[in-house]
Amino acid sequence: MSRAVSGLFGRIAVALALAATAYGVTSPVLAADAELIARGEYIATASDCIACHTAPGGAAMAGGLALSTPIGAIMATNITPSKQNGIGNYTLKQFDAAVRKGVRADGKLLYPAMPYTAYALLSDDDVAALYAYFMNGVAPVETRPPETKLPFPFDIRLSMAGWNLLFLDKRPFDPDPAHDTDWNRGAYLVRGPAHCGTCHTPRNLFMGEQASSQMAGGDVGPWYAPNITSDPNSGIGGWSVEELVAYMRDGHVAKSQAAGPMAEAIDNSLRFMTEPDLKAMAVYLKTVPPVRDPADTQPVFAWGRPSDDLASIRGAAWPQDRDQMNGPQLYDAYCASCHQVQGQGSFEGGLPSLVHNTALGRQNTNNLVMVILNGLHRQPDVLMPGFARELSDTQVATLGSYLIQNFGNPAAKVTAAQVATLRAGGSTSTWPVWAARVGLAVAVLVLIGLIALLLRWRGNRRLATQH
Amino acid sequence: MADRLSADFVVVGSGIIGSLAARKLALAGASVIILEAGPRVTLAELVARFRNSPRRSDWMSPYPSVPWAPHPIYQPEPNNHIVQAGAYPYAAEYIRQVGGTSWHWAAHAWRNLPNDFRIKSLYGVGVDWPFGYDDLEPFYQEAEEIMGVSGADNTGSPRQKPFPMEPVAEPYAMRRLRERLAPEYEVVSNTTARNSRPYDGRPACCGNNSCQPICPINAQYHGGLSADAAEAAGARLIANANVYKLEHDEKGNITAALYYDPDRASHRVTGKTFVVAANGIESPRLLLLSTSDKFPNGLANSSDMVGRNLMDHPSTSLTFDADEDVWLGRGPQSPSSINVMRDGPFRSEHAPYRLDFTNISRVDGATRALIAAGVYGSELGKRLRYSAAREMNVKNVLEVLPDPERRITLSSEKDEMGIPKPEARYSIDDYTRKGHERSQQDFQRIANLMGGSNLRFSKEGEFANNQHICGTLSMGNDPRTSVCDQWGRAHDHENLFLAGTAVLPTSSTCNSTENGLAVALRSVAHVLEQQGASTSATGISKS
Repeated sequence: MSRAVSGLFGRIAVALALAATAYGVTSPVLAADAELIARGEYIATASDCIACHTAPGGAAMAGGLALSTPIGAIMATNITPSKQNGIGNYTLKQFDAAVRKGVRADGKLLYPAMPYTAYALLSDDDVAALYAYFMNGVAPVETRPPETKLPFPFDIRLSMAGWNLLFLDKRPFDPDPAHDTDWNRGAYLVRGPAHCGTCHTPRNLFMGEQASSQMAGGDVGPWYAPNITSDPNSGIGGWSVEELVAYMRDGHVAKSQAAGPMAEAIDNSLRFMTEPDLKAMAVYLKTVPPVRDPADTQPVFAWGRPSDDLASIRGAAWPQDRDQMNGPQLYDAYCASCHQVQGQGSFEGGLPSLVHNTALGRQNTNNLVMVILNGLHRQPDVLMPGFARELSDTQVATLGSYLIQNFGNPAAKVTAAQVATLRAGGSTSTWPVWAARVGLAVAVLVLIGLIALLLRWRGNRRLATQH
Repeated sequence: MADRLSADFVVVGSGIIGSLAARKLALAGASVIILEAGPRVTLAELVARFRNSPRRSDWMSPYPSVPWAPHPIYQPEPNNHIVQAGAYPYAAEYIRQVGGTSWHWAAHAWRNLPNDFRIKSLYGVGVDWPFGYDDLEPFYQEAEEIMGVSGADNTGSPRQKPFPMEPVAEPYAMRRLRERLAPEYEVVSNTTARNSRPYDGRPACCGNNSCQPICPINAQYHGGLSADAAEAAGARLIANANVYKLEHDEKGNITAALYYDPDRASHRVTGKTFVVAANGIESPRLLLLSTSDKFPNGLANSSDMVGRNLMDHPSTSLTFDADEDVWLGRGPQSPSSINVMRDGPFRSEHAPYRLDFTNISRVDGATRALIAAGVYGSELGKRLRYSAAREMNVKNVLEVLPDPERRITLSSEKDEMGIPKPEARYSIDDYTRKGHERSQQDFQRIANLMGGSNLRFSKEGEFANNQHICGTLSMGNDPRTSVCDQWGRAHDHENLFLAGTAVLPTSSTCNSTENGLAVALRSVAHVLEQQGASTSATGISKS
């Protein structure tokens, strides 16, 4: 045990002992001080625990949300301090093992849907604060979500041990003396609690984050978490620190508006973070090594210009076959009332401009399609309606193509097949499952090999001792 | 036929009231079929029709009449769907399509004033309602929470719970009116079903200023949303089903609704309980059409009251040019009004009224007027800019008293489906006319306070209609002078309920939709309560 951890455990132990003496009870409620709980709440917010551990409309942190992954649905657990159904019986050490190492109190391994590879960077103090918050600041909820049931071999949780060997770095965040405090704070938040890379870093065959392509963009179900490296064309290199802070705080700036999972991350987490922390994150993000898609010949927020073709459709009735409707007809009927005739949005920016908008400048058009289908919903009061019910796959493809041709990057594509796939919830291809199975099987073999080696070594040692 | 068309409840009419009544029944577990005469039309298509119309100020242009379910059209040529036989023409407009007429409205969702329920007792005019404000209050609230209503708190209609949202931001022109008319007149936000924030999955108003004929983004509530909600609750909606007759058994209970499809093939839908919610003209028309040996004057009509007491809200107005630029057209079309003349002892003498300010962009109207006057070139641009910036308009919304001689009957003329057309006998009486005369003082004073010039009063003797059709199936306690009881149940038929603005016994000074809807929700609550007690008798299957 490192000195820091032993010191921490010691402090908690002393506090518990003092509390026990003073009140004759050992409840951690009395032991942990309000400041520590508040700090833990902030870390929990920054870590966005609530996003996965709360079902829609359900009690906070009581679990029950099924996280769809390429290998099946993983059920988020109850992490309220309920002793029966939650983590009420966890000691700090057990809590720490779950958060930073992916190991449950019963010794079984968590699936990495829980981003413990990111949380592994958490400082000892922050883990202790987080523990104090979960034990004392969260109301216990006496419900138990269904168990996760994955197909073989993923139902064997031990299989994650192999994965962990490959992808879990258990060292907490180590500040880089070459950078200032702001940068280090930002690096800690981005890579640790805020776990930005969980979505924004592409995954390899084994579903692990590609270390060489940090923040270069990844798929999140049907959504695309874009490149947020410092590259000026593909990433956020062309954003000012102020813009990045405003985006994380408000969910929108002129060049980009958060939707889908990013909207949730802002609603649940980022908008509650302090301005200095957001600024630190922005400072760090702007130094993430650039990764460029060569097709991005200019910044993804720099495409398009205001224009319209509405004169071409005036006075003409819609075609009987609605799939034959053209782009201007669809734009006029579904978009122009808010985004205005030429895609310019409203003068004060409340209704976003489609011109110079990242949603229309990227090669990956999934987010554009997803917003047309499902709209954009953000707390407390941002809503763009979705048109999944009104528009066919062909119509969405026609509209999406019209939008990128006129207001975005004309080299990008939207196809009806893509719309159908995204409407159904994302890629229905089975290859990632098989790839992951093969990958995990390899990892399991590696693990077995290592265990065998370990056993032999121990055996040899025992033999040596006997001699 | 493969379909067995039968349900616990058969609702005729898919407008805002029929659909929301159906929704409430369906949510309680009943099986419900809604029969709608007109077609399904999507919001996007209505928007396209509006933007493609050469007649932007003709609010019916996106809603053409269809041959299998005709409705009144006046431009470019009248189709004479309503045959006029009275002293004053009743140029009513309504829409026969899924969702009904509230596809185009200003979304005014006013509650009555408590005194509106007792004008006979208090002022010796009209009739008293069979219940009072307090009885209806919870159902006003229910309606407002469904529709997403906001409004001012000081308009005389007390509330138990707050509005579900704040009013939409006050347009600049309305702010100037409020500021310059104070303290003489208090200008307040209208009570409207229009989102000031995202509500129930619909966005906030962004000021397209085309509430009529169509809100392009569903920031304004409308019957199309009600129909969607009814279907989502489990009701089955059959469009293009023009009900032309209700059948009954020997006891007088309704047994079936007969409808024509667009090919004029007849279909029969049976049910245990029937709700007629086909608007103030088509509902009495259907009852009058449903004659039999037992009921030679039509259904629910032993009192001969079906179709009588036709009421609406006539309006006269003043247009003037303010002495400052106010630029009407930003924000919703009808945001503000003055409510001081809606009630008072004067109601024994003349009609009360609400004073309503338009915020409709003047560009279309001013352009037409200037071109018609032969103005062209740079002068046209200059004067158009002036008119668009300065022109304002205030109108009254006058109460009409119930009068059995104002009525809807069947004409000898037939529509495209061979069904007798509705015939209207309407008039403007002295009570309403005196209200108009009294309001001219207010018009003049308002114009003065705004530094008005170029005052253009609407033509004397001409009253614009507001399409708040009510009274033709009045509810009341006395079966000799009313069509249905306080729950909307026809006095003559145990299982026939009437819903819609037609059942309102008086018109008061507020747009009829919210009143009609609250009354219908109260009726449905009563039906469910009664039938809940004896589920087997009614066939309501608990889900």
